[in-house]
Amino acid sequence: MINKTVLVCDDDQGILEMLVLVLESYGYQAVAESNSPNMFKTIEQVHPGLVIIDLWMPEMTGDEVVKQLRKKPETQDLPVIVISASMDGKQMADNAGATHFISKPFDIFNLIDKVEEYYA
Amino acid sequence: MDTDNSLGFNFSGESHELDFHLLKLAVDAFVAGIIITDYRQPDHPIVYCNKAFEKISGYQRSEIIGRNCRFLQGDDREQPARYLLKEAIKNGETATVELRNYRKNGDLFWNELYLSPIKDANGNVTNFMGVQNDITKRKNAEQQLQKERDEMERRVIERTRLLKENEEYLSSILQTVRESLLVLGPDLRVLSVNRHFLRTFKVSEAETIGIKLYDLGDDQWNIPQLKELLETILPSNNPVLDFEVSYEFPQIGKKIMLLNAHQIELDGEYKQHILLSFEDITERRESEQRKDDFISIASHELRSPLTTVKGYIQLLERMLPKDNDKVTQAIAKTNDYLNRMNELITNLLDTSRIQNGKIELHKEVFDFDQMVKEAVENVQGSYNSHRIVITGSTKLSYAGDQHRLEQVVINLLTNAIKYSPEASEIAVYLSRVSGFIKVAVTDYGLGIGREDQKKVFERFFRANSIQKKFPGMGIGLYVCDQIIKNHKGTLWVDSEAEKGATFSFTLPIEL
Repeated sequence: MINKTVLVCDDDQGILEMLVLVLESYGYQAVAESNSPNMFKTIEQVHPGLVIIDLWMPEMTGDEVVKQLRKKPETQDLPVIVISASMDGKQMADNAGATHFISKPFDIFNLIDKVEEYYA
Repeated sequence: MDTDNSLGFNFSGESHELDFHLLKLAVDAFVAGIIITDYRQPDHPIVYCNKAFEKISGYQRSEIIGRNCRFLQGDDREQPARYLLKEAIKNGETATVELRNYRKNGDLFWNELYLSPIKDANGNVTNFMGVQNDITKRKNAEQQLQKERDEMERRVIERTRLLKENEEYLSSILQTVRESLLVLGPDLRVLSVNRHFLRTFKVSEAETIGIKLYDLGDDQWNIPQLKELLETILPSNNPVLDFEVSYEFPQIGKKIMLLNAHQIELDGEYKQHILLSFEDITERRESEQRKDDFISIASHELRSPLTTVKGYIQLLERMLPKDNDKVTQAIAKTNDYLNRMNELITNLLDTSRIQNGKIELHKEVFDFDQMVKEAVENVQGSYNSHRIVITGSTKLSYAGDQHRLEQVVINLLTNAIKYSPEASEIAVYLSRVSGFIKVAVTDYGLGIGREDQKKVFERFFRANSIQKKFPGMGIGLYVCDQIIKNHKGTLWVDSEAEKGATFSFTLPIEL
């Protein structure tokens, strides 16, 4: 049984809801998290097969979350796609150790293609 | 028989008459004028004159004998030398004077007169002898010299006055300009300073003049960047322009300054002096930063709802039945305009950054072909209307700003798609050409007329023919050109109207 749970984290409620809808329409089980510091606890609870996370969020930035995840043995190999509208987003994502970067606004077909790569 | 002058006149040894004759010939042959006056007669008449005197004065002997010497003075009687002469005559002494005399024709001549008394056996003065030299030429030369000296003096005074005026004028400019200026000696001591400097850096003239630059204001000018400028850069790169120094002053806080330095190389008093000007750009930089921050945040915030809308539109596209052409078309159009809006936001951000100066480059080594591939995938993901085909390769790791170069490729690709609505393919060709990477993006669309080809890289340029059909800001290619230039590369276009266009750029490969 493949783990089709995708955990999505963004402080923008609109993007979060849209992503959940898109992922569900493609048959994924999407979990939304709008508060980045909760990510570690949520990951433990839902055991996602993939994480999609925004960069600029209050309290804790996406790249900081990725850095923390990479430090823990149980999440160091967890695929993480960083999404951001920042000019230097890709650089930040790469530096933190993210698996992939997609700039906002993104094409959902592109995004789904990428997501499917990790479940292939 | 020998003659001996010291023992009295004895010329021929034959007779006094012959001796007198010879003596008279000798006196007449003399170049100086000689006269003898009789002191014992009233008004001291001239009793003898030689030929030279006739020549100098212009008078005949017959007009001279019997007159007093003063007839040579004409009406020019008030001469200081006359009183010296009178005194000498009164006391029976010798005298040498210079007199203004007049020839018979009225011409002035300067007469250097040597006067000596002739005394009898008892020591009484009987006669005066005057020896006269025409010193007009010498006098004129002296006067000319004096005139020239006076003229020179006058000019020196005038020059000095002008110089002083000039100095005051320049100084008033230096004191008025709204830029800080310092003049340093070769030992980096401050020689002069303008008011703006004193005001900006909150120091007094007394605390500044004569002090070594680094020691100013309790060592607060001991700035490593400034040291580097003055000691390392300036000696080999004179003058230095727009050298940026950023420094946290203990008393006045952080200052960002643009420095111009010029060391005088001209031989002379000012050789090796250093002129240093400071432009305080702290506030300008802060306001640029605020603007930049604002636009960064604004564009970031604008993209969030755009992302949501685009997501829902594409979700709709997926869920709606494919057999309704009008709905499909409407969704495709909406998608196009969302892409355009995103482009506008990117352009807004870039315009702001470029107006602030150079585009900042974050250089890193990356796989060039991979970067192009990703750019193509990115654009292909948003546009289904055209197939983008890559041929060739560079097989290079390139050191540059990957994100910015990707932006250039994306911009060239989206332009190619936008301006070839009837075509279905875009060609990307990658190659290495003698030390350069070359990327060419070809479309089969409208093309660009020759007159517009140079202008397409100008800011806010929009070709007339496309203005109505394809709205935009006219900033994309300008930004691309700036990015390529910042990588020391070249961007150009080859095109013929109605036959498509190829935008190419080359980048030097640094080995």
